[in-house]
Amino acid sequence: MKIHMKRNLMLLLVMILLVSLAFSGCGGGTGNGDEEQQQPVSIAYYATNSEPILDWDPSVMFSNGIIVLNNIYETLLRYDAVNNEIIPVLAESYGKSDDSLVWTFNIRQGVKFHDGTDLNAEAVKYSIDRTMRINKGASYIWAAVKEINVVDEYTVEFVLNYPAPMDLIASTGYAAFIYSPASVTSDDSEWFSSGQECGTGPYMLQSQVPGDEVVLTKYEEYWSGWEGEHFDKVVIKKVTETSSRRQMIEKGEADVTINLPYEDVEAMKDNEDVTIELENSYINVASYFNTQKAPLDDKLVRQALSYAFPYDDVVEFVLGGYGTQGRGPVPKGLWGHGKTLKQYTYDLDKAKELLAEAGYPDGGFSLLYTYMSGDEEEKKTAQLYKAELAKIGVDLEIRGMPWDSQWEMSKGDPEGRQDMLVMYWWPDYPSPVSWLYNLYHSEEEPLFNLGYYSNEQVDALIEEADQKSASDIAEAEELFVQAQEIIVDEAPAIFQYDKINVWVENNTFKGHVPNPAYPNVVFFYNTYRGE
Amino acid sequence: MLTKLFSSKLMEPKLKEAKFSLFLLNRNKLTKISLIIVLLLILIAVISPWIAPYPGHTDLEVNPQDKLLPPSSQYFFGTDELGRDIFSRVIFGTRISLNTALVAVILSLIIGIPLGAVAGTIGGKIDELIMRITDIFLSFPPLLLAIAIAAVLGPSLQNAMIAIAISWWPWYTRLVRGQAISLKERQFVKAAEAIGTSQNKIIFKHIIPNCISPVIVQASMDMGGVILTISSLSFLGLGAQAPTPEWGLMISTSRNFFLNAWWYSIFPGIAIFITVLAFNLLGDGLREILDPKTRKN
Amino acid sequence: MKKYILRRILLGIIVLFGVIAITFTITRVIPSDPAAKWVGPRATHEQIQEARIELGLDQPYIIQFGKYISDLLHGDLGYSLRSHQPVATELKNYIPATVELVLLATLLAIILGIPLGIYSAKYKNRWLDHLSRLFSVGAVSLPTFWVALFLQLIFFSKLEILPLGGRISTNISIMYELPNITGMLLFDSLVTGKFMIFKDAFLHMILPGITVALYPIGLVARMTRSALLEILNEEYIVASRSYGLPEKTVLWIYALKNSLGPTSTVVALSVGYTLMNTFLVEAIFSWPGIGRYISDAVIGLDYPAIMGVTIFSAVVYLALNLIADIIIALDPRVRV
Repeated sequence: MKIHMKRNLMLLLVMILLVSLAFSGCGGGTGNGDEEQQQPVSIAYYATNSEPILDWDPSVMFSNGIIVLNNIYETLLRYDAVNNEIIPVLAESYGKSDDSLVWTFNIRQGVKFHDGTDLNAEAVKYSIDRTMRINKGASYIWAAVKEINVVDEYTVEFVLNYPAPMDLIASTGYAAFIYSPASVTSDDSEWFSSGQECGTGPYMLQSQVPGDEVVLTKYEEYWSGWEGEHFDKVVIKKVTETSSRRQMIEKGEADVTINLPYEDVEAMKDNEDVTIELENSYINVASYFNTQKAPLDDKLVRQALSYAFPYDDVVEFVLGGYGTQGRGPVPKGLWGHGKTLKQYTYDLDKAKELLAEAGYPDGGFSLLYTYMSGDEEEKKTAQLYKAELAKIGVDLEIRGMPWDSQWEMSKGDPEGRQDMLVMYWWPDYPSPVSWLYNLYHSEEEPLFNLGYYSNEQVDALIEEADQKSASDIAEAEELFVQAQEIIVDEAPAIFQYDKINVWVENNTFKGHVPNPAYPNVVFFYNTYRGE
Repeated sequence: MLTKLFSSKLMEPKLKEAKFSLFLLNRNKLTKISLIIVLLLILIAVISPWIAPYPGHTDLEVNPQDKLLPPSSQYFFGTDELGRDIFSRVIFGTRISLNTALVAVILSLIIGIPLGAVAGTIGGKIDELIMRITDIFLSFPPLLLAIAIAAVLGPSLQNAMIAIAISWWPWYTRLVRGQAISLKERQFVKAAEAIGTSQNKIIFKHIIPNCISPVIVQASMDMGGVILTISSLSFLGLGAQAPTPEWGLMISTSRNFFLNAWWYSIFPGIAIFITVLAFNLLGDGLREILDPKTRKN
Repeated sequence: MKKYILRRILLGIIVLFGVIAITFTITRVIPSDPAAKWVGPRATHEQIQEARIELGLDQPYIIQFGKYISDLLHGDLGYSLRSHQPVATELKNYIPATVELVLLATLLAIILGIPLGIYSAKYKNRWLDHLSRLFSVGAVSLPTFWVALFLQLIFFSKLEILPLGGRISTNISIMYELPNITGMLLFDSLVTGKFMIFKDAFLHMILPGITVALYPIGLVARMTRSALLEILNEEYIVASRSYGLPEKTVLWIYALKNSLGPTSTVVALSVGYTLMNTFLVEAIFSWPGIGRYISDAVIGLDYPAIMGVTIFSAVVYLALNLIADIIIALDPRVRV
């Protein structure tokens, strides 16, 4: 009995397959009377290497979702990193008290959220308060805020505990979004997770395949209007394979992508249909020495290993020239970068000399070097470095690990920690303090200072400089550079390279100006289809 | 091992069987060819340091000036992203794959055989317990358990071997248990029991040595699958670490240069295919030759 | 009979419990801090501590396990550490794409693998057998991830006749409402008569379908062949031959009927291997299924997601094995 049922089921399945084969054979595009044709729409297509967005809560999201949310939501201000100026967005203007402890923002009038309600001071207060209450993701950027006051319908005031650069903070691409209190009524993320949004941005969420694809469509009531050329819809899709992304651009299927191996970029350079756009990103890469563990607790050994790093080979063969050797912790192009800082060079003789001076004339020790698995650039660099260290008698064991395992190891039992660890860094808001405080300021328990570096003088300089950055950028910059001079001399890290982001675009995709303050983000409102 | 096999009282018929097996092997061409390929692969694995034109390229040496060159008389299979000779690395990869697969299989035998022998010989509650545990391990879809374990242990070739062993042993436990149950009824075991030999001694002296030959056959048949699993784990980033010339890892890296350097992915892939194919064909053939049910045909 | 089936189901539940216990233990010893993951990439110590309490990670292991089981009984698989979404919801989104792929592969395995195995057994040691064995053994010897890359290179890059990846073309998914009944696009579009969508989805299915189906086709062919060979040597077959029954009847009726048991086991087994292949190639084909979901989860050490996929696949696998066992048991020739 049951066997018969099973057999019938099987027969049905086979029939379905046969029918489907038949249809595909006769090119079944004819029988679609129910699918009415719509007006032609212009669509922008962005192929990314990771999920377009994982976390829809604008207060919590602190990863790839930056790409999607910056087109749906807006912040009070935006930082134009190319021209180093602050652009008003939801705040038309702002001011601060003389002691930089009270910041006042004048909110733009006539802005509507996607749910139809009006933007006002209350909404701004609600959004930032909620972000601070939830206390996840990048919410710590508001750490200086004591309270937020609604002065009138369109004026909001931030009162601080200590001076902080609120204009830069309010421009952050994470945790600074303003959303509608009419739609969001609770601190949990459930409303957002169910695929809803309530921003003021130019685009609204049309549909999504979670973890795979997001489709945005234009918001007719957008405050800046739809005069001129814009895209009607935006598709942001995850395409993991670099070869797939390259082929999609070459065949015109996608408009814009990023993070291709430089070999592909080189190969596409002569293609007339493709535009290559370079961005001096704020992303840089350093490898941190475990300064608590012998022999790396010796400054001479760290300096020696810094001299053994093949900087030029890495720039040429790992980055294909799309990057430069690092000069101190802060990347080129950001204020606070030390243009006159010392740079270590590739010099094996010098390295040997220093090792001998430290008591290791023939090397003779091994080190564990961890990097993030799946990152081909870090993997190549590690192999190049391993080959160089072998020449001075140091054995480097390289191990690619998922970031979380690598991080856990570096925070775990001091005996089991790595000797060297590679880490990317980029700022939440554009200030050198992001590098210096997180990576080089003493920590009781390690969090991101994964070289476990500790120097009281450096700590004091960083703290002073940070407070100064709210009132006097020039003075702050000077202090930051002073701290970096000490750091470079003590060599708690190898400053491998500052990265140039390479955007590969279909050449009909116009208007995209990469902004290093918003990594990987395309502000699609500024882009359009041209010839 | 072999002397053990033939030292039992059943030597006479076994020798005859072996001769007959050889005859069958000779008759089955596909199996014979696969045996030759397997032997060749083992030879390559053993002498790889001497036949690889650039032995340094299989270890830490790099040569970035010559990166991603197409196959030529200097580099038969072209070069990779760091200018290393892919031919040398593929040759050396044979050694790594065979080695790891062998260790992984031996590890799972070490876990699987005693458990199976105990379950089959003692029976009862212990048997029930052991078999339920094997059931649990066998209910993980293939690869999934190995992925999870490799993720826990951290990515390295060694941990990949352990992960595979942990997910593979239940197959041998099942096999040995079946053997043990039938052996238990045989005269020489009954005799040993009758003169009061301890259960431990029976298991290790009589049961295990006598069920080892089908297990070895099964294990050699599994080599192909294990090699494929190792390369899959490496492909997922859970196995070998750079600069080890492991085939799966090479293909995983080559994905990034796929459109510029077809040779980079194709040769390690062919190496995996030939190796796994040879072992699988040999295994299939061996099973037929040794299986009493089909051998008389 | 009923007793046997009941016993099998009970055993299945015990085994499933074991699977859950093992997976749970594995995920608890993964060297990463789920609390840190939960808060985000740049969490402070205080945030992490708060999250640890929120997630109940400060509780003893056994209490955490108990809570997991009781949640599981309510269909709650916890929250993904990366996306903060319920794992059950995410699985619901990803399962149809994978099931569609697995079903197609299994179907191909049955309609191609079984005849291949039969002919191979019939013409044992003849050239047809050699050829079909070479094919079936070859199919299980190919590294799937490598096949995927090369099919893309040939059919997308060189010949430009098939899409690179994904389930459907973007312009179609934007312009038209996709039918959503079962979540399996081919089936849904066929049932609702949206042939343009069906055609597009079908074209997207070809490369991943072939890639994933190779292994099960080979596996089914191999196992059918060896099962048949065993049976063909059994006495009653030899006897029926000697009675002068036509070879065709012997092969197709007697022998095949008797190999139904082993074959259904093989089909169950092959689903397991198909799942394994989806883990390896869904990422390459940008296929939004649970294979890609788990490979992302493994890289991101998202343990509730890893557990969710493992439990789901184990349940499917166990259920299929159970069905296979019951089919064998229902066969009057097999005495239980």
